[in-house]
Amino acid sequence: MSTNSVSEWILEQQEQRTLYDWIQDLGPFVMLFGLILAFSFTTDRFLTEANLIDNVAKNAVTLLLVALAGTFPILQQSIDLSVESMVLLTGVVSVVLISEFGLGLLAIPLAIGVGMLAGLFNGIIFTKLKVPSFLVTLGTLSVMAGVGKIITGGSTITFRNPAIRTISNGEVFGIPNLVLWGLLIYVGTIVLAFRTKFGRYCFALGENERVVELAGAKVDRYKIYPFVLSGLLCGTAGVLLTLRISSASPNIGSGLMLPSIAAIVMGGTALTGGVGGPHRTILGVLVIAVLNNGMNLLGIDSFVQEIILGLVVVGAVALSIDREKIDVVK
Amino acid sequence: MASQEYTNTAGAGQSELTDETDHSFRVDGISKSFRHVQALSDVSLAVDHGEVIGLVGENGAGKSTLLNILTGVLQADEGQLFVDGEAINFTSPREAADYGVSLVHQEQDIIKTMRGYENLYLGREIEQFGVLAKEQMREEAQAFVDELGININMDERVRNYTFNERQMLEIAKAFHISQKSENPVILLDEPTAALEESGRKILFDLVDDLRDKATFVFVSHELDEVLQISDRIYVLKDGERVADIATVNATTDALQKAMVGRKTADEYYRVPDQKRDTELGETTLTVDSAAHGEAVGPISFSVREGEIFGIVGVEGSGKQQLGRLLAGDIGITKGSVSVGGTTLHSPTVSEMVDSGVGYIPKDRKSEGLLLYQSVFVNTSLAMVRDMNGSIPLLDRDAERKATANAIEELSIKTPGPEALVHGLSGGNQQKVVIARWLAHETPILVMDNVTRGIDVGAKEEVYRLCRELTGQGVSIVFIGDELPEVIGMSNRIAVMANGEFVGEPIDASPEKKPTEEDLIQEMI
Repeated sequence: MSTNSVSEWILEQQEQRTLYDWIQDLGPFVMLFGLILAFSFTTDRFLTEANLIDNVAKNAVTLLLVALAGTFPILQQSIDLSVESMVLLTGVVSVVLISEFGLGLLAIPLAIGVGMLAGLFNGIIFTKLKVPSFLVTLGTLSVMAGVGKIITGGSTITFRNPAIRTISNGEVFGIPNLVLWGLLIYVGTIVLAFRTKFGRYCFALGENERVVELAGAKVDRYKIYPFVLSGLLCGTAGVLLTLRISSASPNIGSGLMLPSIAAIVMGGTALTGGVGGPHRTILGVLVIAVLNNGMNLLGIDSFVQEIILGLVVVGAVALSIDREKIDVVK
Repeated sequence: MASQEYTNTAGAGQSELTDETDHSFRVDGISKSFRHVQALSDVSLAVDHGEVIGLVGENGAGKSTLLNILTGVLQADEGQLFVDGEAINFTSPREAADYGVSLVHQEQDIIKTMRGYENLYLGREIEQFGVLAKEQMREEAQAFVDELGININMDERVRNYTFNERQMLEIAKAFHISQKSENPVILLDEPTAALEESGRKILFDLVDDLRDKATFVFVSHELDEVLQISDRIYVLKDGERVADIATVNATTDALQKAMVGRKTADEYYRVPDQKRDTELGETTLTVDSAAHGEAVGPISFSVREGEIFGIVGVEGSGKQQLGRLLAGDIGITKGSVSVGGTTLHSPTVSEMVDSGVGYIPKDRKSEGLLLYQSVFVNTSLAMVRDMNGSIPLLDRDAERKATANAIEELSIKTPGPEALVHGLSGGNQQKVVIARWLAHETPILVMDNVTRGIDVGAKEEVYRLCRELTGQGVSIVFIGDELPEVIGMSNRIAVMANGEFVGEPIDASPEKKPTEEDLIQEMI
């Protein structure tokens, strides 16, 4: 017996998968499949191409972008609660830039830039003033929603520019552009998370900031980046959403925060940071999109839908908390 | 068997485990396996009342498993425990406590926001009509520790205790838990791991004073401590008891041989490999009257290529702070450091790493490692910072290669590069921290107690590695609490007191190694 056999034994134990691991890994798949099966039998319209593309996929894109945005701050053990307000703000700004200033295509990068600035603001307050990200973004959630609503003047604002609309509304080989944008960005975030220094540091910071700092990383900078990225992705979501419907109401984006966090957690990114990644966030997004769509088709009362969604969130968090890591984090 | 070779009978009846009345605590033929791994095989111990027993062995030798069985956390597959002649196998820690057996943990098991007496009574509070009888607990707790001769204020909040006082509270708690028994057995699991010199003395004095009130089993990596405190020493190796030596007959060398099963003695620190003054290269690190507020400095010294510069000092001497200052972790308020010709006035960690200084902190678990990330991620954590190519992607091939090299060259025992660091033994974890700086090709390493809490075999490998590195021109600032180690490894040794160097660094060339006494005189 070698001197290290006991620690080897411990390693083996770790590698042995528990029922819990299986639930965590396969849970979202099983849930998604179960929901699809259930709605296929209970409704006539669910399994039609029109429904799956126009309702499920297109609606899922906004949630996907917002959930991807939220994934990175959570990976590094902080959180961005202001996502839905950034969607509102950038959506409103893009409409104003197109309709009032006639900026056309230029409005898109400018509006997304506003989102990035908002994210930068979140990140700087968080790291430099050392205010917990939870509180910073809870504050800016309210601030940005207020600013956005003031710009709208309280009612839906619109623009007319069919050319720009095709960015979101057109299609290539029968696939809506909106869905293509979503997939492109999805792949991009996976590359970011697993193939770049930024992604590596996100995971590492989520586990232990001191270790990363002593390894010579410019920690503050890498703690701000995820918030800027969050602003960029929420900005993209806001712009694509307003282009799709040529308008921005004072409450676009509202109600996205809760399902986006639920999707992230269901995808296996622990709220305690360090584990998971954007690649599985899409699963959580699809579960919620299908659930929403199915409940609509079944004619379930929207207030009841809220209750069900809330329960799904709590259930998903309870199932996905990494017990071993909780022991360390406490 | 090797066991015979090192076994010396300490007194009558040691080898024959038949006497049922003399021993306060006895373990007979304990075996325990985890699936196919035999963690303990046929281990027997006998402890007389009032004895202090040392229990040593490398990581993985079975010490923790044995402690867990003795305290009822784990159940043995075979074998029997006897307490004062009564045969009993504990099924829970509570049952063990009822028989007077309790464990003082390596990591302190105390709630810092509560008061001393509240901790003492934690889980066993005295209530009157459903209300805590605070006054009664406070008085009884104080009387209890006074009686033991432990000098702590039980009404104070534990967070205001010194580290030592907390440990005393832990020992008091162990006594308190096992007070039903006339002959408490207190198991101390590496109690000195987090202590510095002065703290150890206080702990040892306490154990000495309590000798006639309890039996102690002292588990430690530090052989000189075990030799100092215990009457008799058991050595475990690969789950077997390979030696039972009376301390008077034991030496560090003999224990090391028994633990590791191979020769150590003089070659331990590989002194013959130490570079001579004439072989050292250019000056790479110069510290020029650097200070951190009032706490450290001003300090000046320089280190040459291939040199190991030792730093020793008592707790609070500022040696740990000096390490942090060199790491860029605490600011330089006056003076400067120069690395390879570049002068830095108030460098950040990142700037120090840029200029070629890597820091290995004392506490690898909280500052050195991402425990729940892979060996791969931990090893490449420093090298990735320099991956700023034309495409901003990580060079994963380079990372893989560096990790494979590290596993090979440092003989890191891991199932593979993707295994979590958390599952590795302490020695292998520490090698991963070192590997990080090697992968980054860092020419100057600042090591704070680099062998802390790792077993003898792993220590030897770290020493070998340090020698190889200096052979390649790496410079090492070697901060340590263990004097023999610092003396053995260093070319020169600076003694620190009150944040400053005491005199000039002492020459520690192979022929002129100072003694521990030489250093201690300077330290106090």
